[in-house]
Amino acid sequence: MAFLPIFGRGFPVPFWELEKMRSHMENVYNALAGGINHFRRNYTGVFPLVNTLEDDDNLYLTAELPGLAADQLELAIKGDTLTLKGAKVADNVDANANHHRREREVGSFSRSLTLPIKVKAEEVGAVFKNGVLTITLPKAAEAKARQIVVQAQ
Amino acid sequence: MTQLTNQELSPKEKRPLETGVAENASSTPQFSPQVDIWENDQGLTVVADMPGVAVEGLNIDLNDNVLTIHGQVSLPNVGRKVLTQEYEIGDFYRQFKVAGEIDKEAIAATIKDGVLTVTLPKLAPAQPRKIVVVSA
Repeated sequence: MAFLPIFGRGFPVPFWELEKMRSHMENVYNALAGGINHFRRNYTGVFPLVNTLEDDDNLYLTAELPGLAADQLELAIKGDTLTLKGAKVADNVDANANHHRREREVGSFSRSLTLPIKVKAEEVGAVFKNGVLTITLPKAAEAKARQIVVQAQ
Repeated sequence: MTQLTNQELSPKEKRPLETGVAENASSTPQFSPQVDIWENDQGLTVVADMPGVAVEGLNIDLNDNVLTIHGQVSLPNVGRKVLTQEYEIGDFYRQFKVAGEIDKEAIAATIKDGVLTVTLPKLAPAQPRKIVVVSA
């Protein structure tokens, strides 16, 4: 291997150029995607997949859990950790039935998520509708954006 | 009888619809739902996971022995800013060829908690008919 001079940035020159290109592409991509719109696909590999949304007052977590009954879902919040636990059970199928396809999976799940901001734990609400769970977490006062009025003098 | 398994669920990416399967005029992505299909003496049952689809968004038909299920999701998160997205939201579309004689008038569908169940009863087999010969 050819000797590569090491510069202050910590990358040998050709890699440093590549690294610059990579981070530039990442900036371009992020700008196109709207800045904070990270699409992190399956980044934990834990069921269920969760989308995080927010508005001025609340943080929202959504998960698709088709066929799950609301009473089979356990939700707990402790500090900044939210835990989602439950199980999808098999349907009641005639024992003599002949299966042509079996793609829907059954099993249990447990996932812990770290909340990105402080929330009012005692006011957290959850709704399960059409197989989609939506957890509404009201933001704590210190996590909310505050409008500062600029006074002219 | 419901049975509980010890199996742990793992996350799965939604299967995008193959191009050319259905025309998509909207910008909403389309996915192929996961299904179970089983058959017994009474008929055929199709169960499809379609989270986010309400009764109003469902469109099911049987035409030329092809069963089409189409579910449009209602988008409840309008006006909210997405921070992280692990799963995509979109409509569901899938077609099946149905073999055998189906009583088309008796097809029924229900949706509950994002799970669609379509039952396609079989036509009653033709009863052998005994012809009574009456002496003239």
